[in-house]
Amino acid sequence: MATLSVPASRLGADRLLRSRALGKLLLLALFAAVLAPWAAARWPGAAWPHALTVDLSGPLASASDWVVDNRDSHPLFLYFFGYVSNAVVLCVRAVYLTLLAAGWAGVTVFGALVAWRVAGVRLAAGTAAAFLACGALGMWVPTMQTLALMVVAVLASLALGMLLGLAAGLSDRLDRALRPVLDTMQVLPAFAYLLPVVLVFGIGVPAAVLATVVYAAPPMARLTSLGLRAADPGVMEAVASLGATFRQRLLTARLPLARKEIMLGVNQTIMMALSMAVIASMIGAGGLGDRVYQALASVDVGAALAAGIPIVLLAVVLDRVTAAVGERLGEGAEAAPGRTAARRAVLAAVLAAVVLLGRLTGALTWPGGWVADIAAPVNTAKDWMVDHLYSGVPVVGGTADWAAHFTTWVLDPIRDGLQGLPWWALLLVVAAVAWLIGTWRTALTATLAMAAIGVLGVWKPSLDTLSQVLAAVAVTLVIGFGAAVAAARSARCERMLRPVLDVCQTMPQFVYLIPVVALFGVGRAPAAAAAVVYALPAVIRIVGQGLRQVDPGALEAARSLGATGAQQLWQVQLPLARRALLLAVNQCVVLVLAVVVVGGLVGGGALGYNVVFGLAQGDLATGLVAGAAIVCLGLMLDRVTQPVERHVRKGA
Amino acid sequence: MRFRTTALVAAVAALGLTAGCGAADMTKQASPFANARGSKTVTLSVQSWVGAQSNVAVAQYVLEHELGYRVDTVQVDEVPAWDALSQGRVDALLEDWGHPDQEKRYVADKKTITDAGELGVTGHIGWFVPTYLAKRHPDITDWRNLDKYASLFRTAESGGKGQLMDGSPSYVTNDKALVANLKLDYQVVFAGSEAAQITQMKQFAKDEKPFLTYWYTPQWLSKKVPMTEVRLPPYKEGCDADPAKVACAYPHTPLKKFLNADFAKSGGKAAAFLKKFRWTTEDQNEVSLMIADQRMSPQDAARTWVRGHPEVWKRWLS
Amino acid sequence: MTLTVPTRKPPTDAPVFSVDGLWKVFGPKADRVPADPELSALDAAGLRARTGCTAAVRDVSFDVLKGEVFVVMGLSGSGKSTLVRCLTRLIEPTAGTIAIDGEDVRAMDKGRLRELRRHRAAMVFQHFGLLPHRTVLDNVAYGLEIQGVGRSERRERAAEVVAKVGLEGMEKRRPGQLSGGQRQRVGLARALAVDPEVLLFDEPFSALDPLIRRDMQEEVVRLHREEGRTMVFITHDLSEALKLGDRIALMRDGRVVQLGTPEEIVGSPADDYVRAFVRDVPREQVLTVRTAMRPASAADAAGGPAVRPEATVAEAIEAVARAGTAARVVDAGRCLGVVDSDTLLGVVAGTADPAGPARPDTVPAGAGAPAPAVTAPPGKPGAPGAGPAPAAATPEAASGARTAGAGGRRAPASPTPPRTGTEAI
Repeated sequence: MATLSVPASRLGADRLLRSRALGKLLLLALFAAVLAPWAAARWPGAAWPHALTVDLSGPLASASDWVVDNRDSHPLFLYFFGYVSNAVVLCVRAVYLTLLAAGWAGVTVFGALVAWRVAGVRLAAGTAAAFLACGALGMWVPTMQTLALMVVAVLASLALGMLLGLAAGLSDRLDRALRPVLDTMQVLPAFAYLLPVVLVFGIGVPAAVLATVVYAAPPMARLTSLGLRAADPGVMEAVASLGATFRQRLLTARLPLARKEIMLGVNQTIMMALSMAVIASMIGAGGLGDRVYQALASVDVGAALAAGIPIVLLAVVLDRVTAAVGERLGEGAEAAPGRTAARRAVLAAVLAAVVLLGRLTGALTWPGGWVADIAAPVNTAKDWMVDHLYSGVPVVGGTADWAAHFTTWVLDPIRDGLQGLPWWALLLVVAAVAWLIGTWRTALTATLAMAAIGVLGVWKPSLDTLSQVLAAVAVTLVIGFGAAVAAARSARCERMLRPVLDVCQTMPQFVYLIPVVALFGVGRAPAAAAAVVYALPAVIRIVGQGLRQVDPGALEAARSLGATGAQQLWQVQLPLARRALLLAVNQCVVLVLAVVVVGGLVGGGALGYNVVFGLAQGDLATGLVAGAAIVCLGLMLDRVTQPVERHVRKGA
Repeated sequence: MRFRTTALVAAVAALGLTAGCGAADMTKQASPFANARGSKTVTLSVQSWVGAQSNVAVAQYVLEHELGYRVDTVQVDEVPAWDALSQGRVDALLEDWGHPDQEKRYVADKKTITDAGELGVTGHIGWFVPTYLAKRHPDITDWRNLDKYASLFRTAESGGKGQLMDGSPSYVTNDKALVANLKLDYQVVFAGSEAAQITQMKQFAKDEKPFLTYWYTPQWLSKKVPMTEVRLPPYKEGCDADPAKVACAYPHTPLKKFLNADFAKSGGKAAAFLKKFRWTTEDQNEVSLMIADQRMSPQDAARTWVRGHPEVWKRWLS
Repeated sequence: MTLTVPTRKPPTDAPVFSVDGLWKVFGPKADRVPADPELSALDAAGLRARTGCTAAVRDVSFDVLKGEVFVVMGLSGSGKSTLVRCLTRLIEPTAGTIAIDGEDVRAMDKGRLRELRRHRAAMVFQHFGLLPHRTVLDNVAYGLEIQGVGRSERRERAAEVVAKVGLEGMEKRRPGQLSGGQRQRVGLARALAVDPEVLLFDEPFSALDPLIRRDMQEEVVRLHREEGRTMVFITHDLSEALKLGDRIALMRDGRVVQLGTPEEIVGSPADDYVRAFVRDVPREQVLTVRTAMRPASAADAAGGPAVRPEATVAEAIEAVARAGTAARVVDAGRCLGVVDSDTLLGVVAGTADPAGPARPDTVPAGAGAPAPAVTAPPGKPGAPGAGPAPAAATPEAASGARTAGAGGRRAPASPTPPRTGTEAI
């Protein structure tokens, strides 16, 4: 492909691309022409043929029974899971008791001091304010329970992630084995992780902690491995040239060089763990998540908010503090050692004094008189909103009308269309889209994942979930692209959006369900709406970044040729930001799926409902099958939207 | 190489040591949040419906203020609550709507759970329509006439059929099988939670719209939105044995309490109190209404009730 | 063994590095390439087509003498960076021998090799290779830390070296806060801190601005003058090579095409490639009057300014132009020959055969003949320089050089830097 001039090469590449795409399609069409009639003749009907399903509910149910019957007698449980479970309980309890012993003043001062040392005065004030707000909302004890659980889960995730990351970062073979697994785990909804742990550990704190660890460890592992692999080869060579041993190379060079990535991994792990805090309350995590869950079950928006706000505050504070640590590491500023030691001593003394004061005055628990009840006013406001916005608003119609229209005009046609399409045709569509956007490998994975859904026997509910995902993705993309374009073109718009996006991105998925239920009632429409709200910030941010990173030279050139704003957008910015746009679509799909399945709690039905049902009825077979289908759906959606670049760029 | 061997030896030794120390039975494991700071803690499981919240709120209030316990509550649905109860992660389940499988496994076979007697409330599940609708169409209360009115109950979610609204997935329900076996032109739509269901029902009731719903008594909402039951084929002992073939009404169930077996033995005053805890449908509804309709916090509602009915709860402490 | 040529430095007896028949082949089953005469004779394209391998270093032999600055120069892709990494086995050579102080480097086990890297040879890199999370002082002390030197001692020693390279007051900064030149000073200090026998430089100044590059070159010259440490210096910059090198090995496609003093490289290019390479070099800046002079006639001996034999032609031109007459080349009171405007202009114009007129009879045997480049033992197939010998490499001259050997000391015995100390007498 040695071409002489740039335009010629672009043209050539275009033509090549088009012909390649055409070739792929032709090949698929040929394949379809041979197989489809046969499949259609053999198994008529649109739904997945019953003959091709494997019924797992029997074996799964007996497995679950076996676990329950043998949990207190089988050596596997007595000598392995039992210890794991005990260790978790012991650790959580130790942290919890420490937090309680420190008292509310102690914890607040400790948090503020840590934030001050690593991130400056402003964040310290923010941290203190956040803790005080938790107390003022009457959520001190649940906050401490969640915090205790988070501390243990995050530490375990970090240790596990670090270990896996080290293995993958140092051994190519392990990297090849682990990378696809970690990549996939990254795109799966938290919901899918709940059931397998419940099967083994039963409902309770150990299950919640372990599900959180499984969910939160992959980003740490990925980023650690990435950081280790990205170590500047020049530096590594220099270190080797000085005669460093393997251990010295790792400890003094490779790990410190990866510290920025590792810190980012810590940040991501904490965020993932927190977002799991509420979902894990479905399997007995307790704490704040449990309060949200209880409130959500009684559509008590005020109470849900009172419990949700501390989670958001914790998330925002932890995010900012860890991000600040990451930045500081990047800059590499450090105080002189002597001063640090002295300061530390002073800080420790302050902390000890506060704790002691708390103990002496007996004010360890948050004083009951200092609790502000926000639930009642919030509920009044919500009731007012429901009364005035819910239905029958002139001209625009109420939110309930919107939801109904969205259901009848968007969700139903898509669902019926998907369910009406013959199963083999759907497989072909998946294969075609995945192949056009990605490689034959991604296409194969996507198709197999889709087929696995059929084999599991949950074809119909999966298509229902898929229809909700597609509708929500479409809405998200339209709004997100619009907002991002607006933000990229107007600085003021961007300034206004940024803080909103910052906060939205750190909020746990569950919190979005609360206002949505208040506005849209129950059903599939609110599930889709919550998904839109959840995925929107990420889409706006990625697209906005993509547009802003467009080569200013190209834009200037277009302007110098007299291009209008619209021409600049369509002919320069959007094509040049293609990669970012594809990434946005991919992220959007993944995030939407995560919330659509959580939507099972507010009437979203389909797979999410099956998981909730499985948990609620102890019918692990139903839940596990639905969980597996969610995994397959996530895999399929990720692969279908995965641009080629991610696979060409190996080892990066 | 030597380093590796040493590590291996150490690992094996550690494993041997821990294993040597004995088995770790995770079914004898309390919640890590229990018994914090010296005070004795009772962990109660709460189910998602308001009646269950009322039981727990009152029990919690009495335990905390009269007996000096700390009470933790955990939101667990009934079936998982059985498992958690058996493992000792919660101490009590105050309102069970009848789970014969679990009862056999945990109470009779494994003996990890003890029957703590009846709650005093009798539960009944059924299909209900709002009374204003029953007055308009008196014959709607017979299941045989439901198909006639299917078009009344059509919604966006139910497609071309009538909508039968179900609530939380955790509730005992045979509705899908019933619809199929009675050959009704209806679609079961799950609201996903009781609260979602109640929101929807209130919306309908505000405009006096027709709706058909899975419902149960005692239920506080019945005071706000009077409901009339639709007669299904009568319940006979054993007619609901095969969940797939059910074609009869739901039974009337005396609701029961269950305690963790260890807690029942060594739970002291708390266990004794919970065994005696027994009140009427009216009592429960009074608390439920305060919580669900007047939006009082469960604590406040419990306090109000306790102040008003000393004669009831004093009996539980004797 | 390779023949060594006299340098302007006092070369002492044993070579520090002795490289013989070194090969580095990248690719599948690389081992068979050096072993198979048919394969090893192929050119790069042929080799790649036949085996899929690339030979970065092909049959290279040379000695690095104690105290000299040995420059390996070549364009990018010529294999010079691979070559210098082979010396401490940062890249594992495919074939050949490397000896440091007579000890076989390729036979070293891990521990021994680590000793070599820790104490005997330290390297300075093009892209510095500094640890961004450490201060300047800790970066400089890093080599000592690796060796297990205690904290206070290594800091103390590092502080001395930091001062030596002119970075006082910057000890607490981090590499990210330094300019490129300062960073390379840190790299240099790190290498110096372990007090190595040999310093290896891998294009250390290529990434720097021209002005800073000159500063750094002078820094190296200064260090070498002060410490007399043996240095192997890789560069693609001919002027840098000429400025720093006592001897230069010029590489092309993995082979050494010529090895000799800067004067020999410029004055008698071994082949057309070298000739093309040095074409634009200001010859009067490199060639000395020793090569430019003609035998003195009786008339010349009488007067005119005196210049030392190692003065450059440019200096002689100045002297001749000032005096208006021919200048005498005087070494230790003896008149070796004469340069006049004609001979000097011939050098500048490149028309004169520089070695020609100076060679016979006037030069006392063993007194430091301008020896021709002898790069490798003749007769080896494909050995560089084995083909058409440089113009001056007549058999007698070659044997003369051989007998002179390492003993052929040059007049200025003091370790003066190559260029700066000479001036017209």
